[in-house]
Amino acid sequence: MSLLSPSIHYVGCFSLVLIGLYVVLVKPNLIKVIIGINLMDTGVNLFLVTVGYIQGGTAPIFSEAARQPEGMVDPVPQALVLTAIVIGVSVLALALALTIRVYGHYGTLDLRKIKGLRW
Amino acid sequence: MGAGAILTVALAGAGLSYPLGLLSAKVRNVFATAVSALLVCLVAAAYGRSGEHVYYSGFLGLDLILRTDALAWFFAITVSLVGCLSVVFSLRYVRGREKVSFYYFALLLVNAAMLGIVFSGDLLSFFIFWEVMSWAAYLLISYNRGRALYAGLKYIVMSIIGSCAMLVGLLSLYAAHDTLVISELAERIGSRGTGFLLGVLVAFSIGFGIKSAMVPLHTWLPDAHSEAPSPFSAVLSGILIKMGIYGFVLVMYALVGLKLLLGLRGAWVSFNSVLCWLGAIGILIPTFIAVLQTDAKRLLAWSSIGQIGYIILGMGFATSLGLTGALFHTFNHAVFKALLFLAVGAVEYRTGGVRDLNELGGLIKRMPVTFACALVGGLGLIGVPLTSGFVSKWLIYKTLIAEGHPFLALAALVGTWGAILYVYKLLHNMFLGQLPEKYAHLEAAPFTMRLPLVVCGSIIILFGILPGIPLGAVGPIVGSLGLEPVQATLTGFGPQVGPLNMVSIFAAAALAVLAVLLVLRASAAPRRVAQEDSYAAGSPVPAGRYHHTVRFYDPLEGATIGYLRDWADEFYTRVAGGARGGFDGLRRIYTGDVRNYVMYIVCLLAFLIFVQMVWHIW
Amino acid sequence: MVSPILLIAVPLGLAFITPLLGLARKGAPRYVPAVAMLFNLLVSVSLLPDALRAPIVVRTAGWAPPFSIHLVAGPLGLLLSSLIALIGLLVAVYGMDYIREGATTRYHVLSILILVGATGVVLTGDVFNLFVFFEILCISSYALVAYWGDSASVEAGAKYLIQGAIGSSFVLIGIGLLYGAFGALSMADIAANVSSVSSFRLFVSLAFLITGFGVEAAVFPLNAWLPDAHSSAPSSISAILSGIAIKAGIYAVARVVYTIYGAQSILPFVALLSVATLLIGEMCAFSQNDIKRLLAYSSIGQMGLIVFGLAMASATGVSAALFVVISHALAKALLFLASGYMILRTGSREVSSLNGMGTRMPLTSLCFTVGAFSLVGLPPFVGFASKFMIVRAALETADTFFVVLLAIALIGTVIEGAYFLRIVQGLYFKPAPQQAREETRKEPPLSALVPVGVLAALIVAVGLYPGLVERALGAAANDLLDRDSYVQNVMGD
Repeated sequence: MSLLSPSIHYVGCFSLVLIGLYVVLVKPNLIKVIIGINLMDTGVNLFLVTVGYIQGGTAPIFSEAARQPEGMVDPVPQALVLTAIVIGVSVLALALALTIRVYGHYGTLDLRKIKGLRW
Repeated sequence: MGAGAILTVALAGAGLSYPLGLLSAKVRNVFATAVSALLVCLVAAAYGRSGEHVYYSGFLGLDLILRTDALAWFFAITVSLVGCLSVVFSLRYVRGREKVSFYYFALLLVNAAMLGIVFSGDLLSFFIFWEVMSWAAYLLISYNRGRALYAGLKYIVMSIIGSCAMLVGLLSLYAAHDTLVISELAERIGSRGTGFLLGVLVAFSIGFGIKSAMVPLHTWLPDAHSEAPSPFSAVLSGILIKMGIYGFVLVMYALVGLKLLLGLRGAWVSFNSVLCWLGAIGILIPTFIAVLQTDAKRLLAWSSIGQIGYIILGMGFATSLGLTGALFHTFNHAVFKALLFLAVGAVEYRTGGVRDLNELGGLIKRMPVTFACALVGGLGLIGVPLTSGFVSKWLIYKTLIAEGHPFLALAALVGTWGAILYVYKLLHNMFLGQLPEKYAHLEAAPFTMRLPLVVCGSIIILFGILPGIPLGAVGPIVGSLGLEPVQATLTGFGPQVGPLNMVSIFAAAALAVLAVLLVLRASAAPRRVAQEDSYAAGSPVPAGRYHHTVRFYDPLEGATIGYLRDWADEFYTRVAGGARGGFDGLRRIYTGDVRNYVMYIVCLLAFLIFVQMVWHIW
Repeated sequence: MVSPILLIAVPLGLAFITPLLGLARKGAPRYVPAVAMLFNLLVSVSLLPDALRAPIVVRTAGWAPPFSIHLVAGPLGLLLSSLIALIGLLVAVYGMDYIREGATTRYHVLSILILVGATGVVLTGDVFNLFVFFEILCISSYALVAYWGDSASVEAGAKYLIQGAIGSSFVLIGIGLLYGAFGALSMADIAANVSSVSSFRLFVSLAFLITGFGVEAAVFPLNAWLPDAHSSAPSSISAILSGIAIKAGIYAVARVVYTIYGAQSILPFVALLSVATLLIGEMCAFSQNDIKRLLAYSSIGQMGLIVFGLAMASATGVSAALFVVISHALAKALLFLASGYMILRTGSREVSSLNGMGTRMPLTSLCFTVGAFSLVGLPPFVGFASKFMIVRAALETADTFFVVLLAIALIGTVIEGAYFLRIVQGLYFKPAPQQAREETRKEPPLSALVPVGVLAALIVAVGLYPGLVERALGAAANDLLDRDSYVQNVMGD
């Protein structure tokens, strides 16, 4: 447990990223590809939070319980993640909107068939 | 001062001709003619003044300089003269066609850019004017549409290749010597090794060789010259390709200098001997390809390549005789090739665009002045005594003999035989023989077309009899390039060179002609026969057989046509076709499947990380 | 003195009140982008002389770097933001009449947002804000690419989005790694602590950032989205994407490589990539039959040239590259804008449909020709001056590696000349297609002619007087190359 503990978070979030990447690279379905992108996003966000995490730290709020900044996790990555989540959601919304339009035009979500633009 | 004013007039003239054309065609024509005539006058008036001044300081940190010296003036007068004649010729030639204002704009711009090239005192402005000349010429070559588009594209692509090579050459000089001013470069040029210098010269030679149509870089020329409007063909063949020669002389003699030049050798040949051999090949093969042509302008185009061969041959020797001959031949070729192209243009104009030699004939009866001038031009091209072409070719032969190069001399000689063949074919098939029925009511060429022809013809004969006038201009150039000027008298050469007195030859020739006339007068008068009044084996000859122009040199053609192909052109076409196919294949990497694209992204990332992980090089 | 922060705040504010304006007056939104960009242009140009002396560092909320979010309006940033505002203004004027169908208000909002994103990218001094502005740029461009809503544009938008999203994720991972290593987000602060990238962990973050930003910068092999997106977007947006957006991407890559990491050792590889980009772009453009796709591939080629200049890591090389940025932005915007109305008139994007345009739209064709000549690098247009500087810089490195790459790059130039000049021949010397022959001449409206004409005039003017931008180029190149003074300027003493 103690051996793994410092890096287990990293393993977890990079696994998420890799799973997402795998889905994007392999799955021919546009919706699945978007899910893959979202998985990657989640992994990345998790990674950012992990970067600022301190073992046993508290939330970065100056409360009665914790007055010392040493015992708090780093608040900056959390702020970043909030922004990144917002961006991720807007990309997701746009992606889904485009997917609907693509389906309207091609009648399929199979990326092997959506090849109107090439060369 | 002089060069700046001349260039301003030239460029302003080009710029103004377009808006003027929108107002009134007549004003524009008068204006264009006046500007080009004014340029001739200005160049003639300021001839010989030497000077150097900065006209634009700080273009990309470099000063642009105008410089005038003997070499510049010699080319400037040639450019402005031929330019002016072609503008005068154009007055009728392009009347009533589309985009005439644009035509004048481009024509004047080409002329202005060429003046800019010869007046440039630094290689950057040389290059800028060179490029302006290239694209303006490309627009003009494309002017006739149809097949001209292909010709124009071929021209500009080759010309961009050449200018890329030149750019590399001149900026290597800049990187090494920190200046592009020709006079400063000439002082510092020796400080780097000969290998570097050889590389730079080769880069320049590609640029100049393409522009001057040196074999094997000539392949744009036959298409471009034959498809361009005829007055512009005259400019192209007369002076534009000579800019390549100017560049060669400038870089080889003014910039690198004689002493360094002769020391430039690769593994087993020296730079200038390679040039000489390329010149000789350029005389031999294109001349005989010209003999096979049936398109009058294509024939002249191939002949231009051959004549450029003579010039390069003379120039490559780096002797004062050779250089004098080359420069004089440059001028001569400009005049007589302009004349011939204009003559063909006049015929083309009157016959409604016919320049197929198999369909013309007998036009001497309809266009006598044009014929007379074309005859003079043709004789000059062959190098018959009493034309200026004789003197320049004589100088080049003299060089070959004096330097002891029998093979090159043979090539030059055989080239002259070929020239006789194709000039005869050209003149005969257009002007002699039977007049086809459809041309029976042709009018003579209009005055504005005859005038340039007559001017060119007179120049050829005048300088043929009194070669001392142009040689007097060539002498200082040769002197300024570090060679001993050739001792020329007004009528020829003194005993140091080998005595030649054109006036005595003229007298002898005049006597001979007189004698022939007398003999002819004394003999029985010929009887005129009507065209249909001729019989073969007792039956009348069908009308179609009168005109013996189809397959003109049949046995010769049969023997040579298999060999005289444009190998270089075929090679380039094949390369271009292959490249095109390759490009199309390459496009397939954009498969249209977005997952492949993501794969590319991931691959780059993986590659970066992998390399660092394994080799730690970054 | 106005604060550079207004360059971002004012257009952003205008973007958000645009829909409200649309409610108040129907025609109002189409003027907003032009107003916003005019403001930006005036402010950027007025700030530029100050920035040439010393970069203007703006601290928000009273915190000093490295803790605050700050803007660094250095010579490079302001030069690029002036360029963005200039192209943005002209495209906005063009867009007033060009965009008639669809959700026009949203178009105008998004077009401001693209430009705000690009301005933010070039001005920010903080690596996370770089990411945020980058996303503003990207997301609004995904939406605008799909603006017409036909099958091609939707497909292009979706594909662009997928690749862009992957790139953004990589950027974010890179930023996370950086933050993990240094606990800072200010570029200057990180730069002060990075001495080399040889540590594997640092290099991984560099690799992620290069790849991520490289997607937008259209470096081979990350550029597959570009021909689709640039060709399917409305022409005005293609002009912004080609003229501005990919430049913002390349700026981000350059900032990361030069300022943050000082990673000179990776540059030879980048140079190789750049020449590959150039060749592939030009080769793909060569036999392209769709005019906008051809222009898009040619953009890839020009990006290769820019990256090639940047990779030389010499002051002359970088300023040459920046000069190509300017010349390409002017010329490519001009070409896209000019071809926009040609395509609208003929209803076809085939190259052959432009035949005979010289008589039908003479002024537009003339400007198109100027742009094409400039891209090919013919004097006296600005493209010549920039190409000249690139060649000079490459030869001045006196490095055989760069000279060989230069020779290969020049082959690309020849190919570019071949296809552009073929189009120019078509404009003037080929007969128009049969159905178009009866049409009388019809120029686009003034709102399109003016931007196109201004761009053509700028191309000629800067081509004749490169001194107009030369000083700014030198300072900007220095801004990028000199890490120490960048750090010093931002962090204070």
